[in-house]
Amino acid sequence: MGSRTSKRLITALAMLVASLALAACSDLGAGGLDGPVQTAQANGKATGDITISNWPAYIDKNTVPEFEEESGLSVEYIEDVNDNNEIFSKLQPTLANGDPAGRSMVVVTDWMAKKMYDLGYLQNFDKNAIPEVNKNMLPSLQHPSFDPERQFSAPWQSGMTGLVVNTAEAPDVKSINDLFDPQYHGRVTVLSEMRDTVPLVMKASGIEDPSKAPAEDWLAAIDKLSGAIESGQIVGVVGNSYINDMARGDVVAAIGWSGDAVQLQADNPDIQFVMPEQGCIIWSDNMVIPVGAPNPEAAYAFMNYVYTPQNQAQIAIYNNYTTPVTGVKPILEKTDPELAKSQLIFPSEKYQENCSPQPDPPKLQTAEIERAFEALQTGG
Amino acid sequence: MKAWAQKRGIPYFLLLPGLAWLTIFFVLPMIFMFTVSLYEGSLDTTYEFTWHWANYSDALSQFDTQFVRSFLYAGIATMLCLLIAYPLSYAIAFKAGRWQSVLLLAVIAPFFTTYLIRTYAWQTILSNDGVVVDFFQSIGILNSDQYLLKTPAAVIAGLTYNFLPFMILPIYASLEQMDQRLIEAARDLYSSSRTAFLKVTLPISAPGVFAGVLLTFIPAVGDYVNASFLGSSQQAMIGNVIQGAFLRTKDYQIASALSFILMAMIVVAVFVYIRFAGSESLMGDEEATT
Repeated sequence: MGSRTSKRLITALAMLVASLALAACSDLGAGGLDGPVQTAQANGKATGDITISNWPAYIDKNTVPEFEEESGLSVEYIEDVNDNNEIFSKLQPTLANGDPAGRSMVVVTDWMAKKMYDLGYLQNFDKNAIPEVNKNMLPSLQHPSFDPERQFSAPWQSGMTGLVVNTAEAPDVKSINDLFDPQYHGRVTVLSEMRDTVPLVMKASGIEDPSKAPAEDWLAAIDKLSGAIESGQIVGVVGNSYINDMARGDVVAAIGWSGDAVQLQADNPDIQFVMPEQGCIIWSDNMVIPVGAPNPEAAYAFMNYVYTPQNQAQIAIYNNYTTPVTGVKPILEKTDPELAKSQLIFPSEKYQENCSPQPDPPKLQTAEIERAFEALQTGG
Repeated sequence: MKAWAQKRGIPYFLLLPGLAWLTIFFVLPMIFMFTVSLYEGSLDTTYEFTWHWANYSDALSQFDTQFVRSFLYAGIATMLCLLIAYPLSYAIAFKAGRWQSVLLLAVIAPFFTTYLIRTYAWQTILSNDGVVVDFFQSIGILNSDQYLLKTPAAVIAGLTYNFLPFMILPIYASLEQMDQRLIEAARDLYSSSRTAFLKVTLPISAPGVFAGVLLTFIPAVGDYVNASFLGSSQQAMIGNVIQGAFLRTKDYQIASALSFILMAMIVVAVFVYIRFAGSESLMGDEEATT
């Protein structure tokens, strides 16, 4: 080969080696932050602006403008949390350097809140700054296993994962096992939220308490799902998009979230949330304050605002998820008596008797289980 | 001095912005991604750079089905695009007359909408209760309990639709600048319409076909939007696997390795294609015998 070509090759090789050496010294989002967890101290009245990240369709149109008027704050409310893993992947690179990319509050599900806290990405609350939250939080939500003293999380809304069913097309679906019924072949989806889908399948196989189940049970349930996907029984392991599939009528029965069923009724009044025979999974989406948050005082102001019963009532009417705030039911009894009876917003103990809180898989095998579940989504 | 500077310096000076862009936004990220592909570990156990070449063999063996599937779907979609685009480009170039601009606008107009929305619209088009499924069921191609969504057909249809303009425009461009008098000349030499097409028009449009095939096939192989919206997990392409590895399981090293393997495969495929299409075997043999 000519000297020009070999010169080029050597230059290219030298560049490659040099940059490899350079890159090898750099960090790849190296794990979590060390050091003690800080408390986000509130220093006086909240002023300025705040950026909040939340899930889509989780708040009515009026709450944020009314909050801005009352508090004088300017709120940038972004609905970019479509999936716990995706928002984590989005924020993790900067959070690893203590920078929450502008956000003072993010709303994530219990297990993700715990994961972020363990990695040092969250701050503790200054409890003196959130009197409304302390006063009005539903007693059953005050001491969850992942945050027994509610140090770093306050529920935004609580919810149930169960069956969302088009009762006209699939009237007999009453249990998770009915999703495997061949008569619904090709018209069933399950959620991509592993900690909702797999525990529900485990409960339907007779495992009453998924939080104590060993890894084999998780993997066996994933295996069962894998068989159903390969045969075409289940056509999707999806996030929020199952709502669109059901609205079009392409999917008649799905594992889904309680509040979504009510929103779907606007498209098709036959769609309902059905409590599975073996029970549902109960979870909360929590407001958390990330490390380095620019305006924690504003975050506390927002928390106090939404934990005030009148304001919460407005959100509850729109959302149809379980409200975490006491004192809302009497308000709704006067303004929307139908909703005051809703088992989705104010579930009775009897309604939830078989339900389990959302479990985490056994810590040591979590990566293996997550990979097995991921393989369901890509057939790999 | 000035003459020398003008001769030697200016070209390099003009290249500088482009080179800088390429270096910062392409070369450096490629290098970084290459190093990432040699890491080992996870978010919980921290990542370590250990020249872990096993990532490549692991990725290849674990996801070979998705690789094959991606090339298959992209290949079929490219073929379909060619079959649809060529007659259309021919018609626009030679037969359209005063409708030429309108037709070209019709080809480009869908691009005014974002890619995601266009693909999303296909969910409604191919919906179980939609017109297309009804039609196919009524003429018997589909049984009454068979549907189009969440099948390979839907994904390939989506790919074909989305990349069709990339095939139409290059072929149109190369046909449009053909001198019509060449056809006249061929006729004068007693060739039939068919021969004129095969020996004059087709070879002249070859560069356009070549460009169109590359512009369609290469992005289609790595596509993940169509498989995500129109297919089930059984139709997952390699793009979906990479997306999942980056966003969900955070196996950054596997995702990077997969990206490089995909790039290498595409480069090989393109080289094979260039050899095949670039050689005169298809078009030149006939000339050799005349």
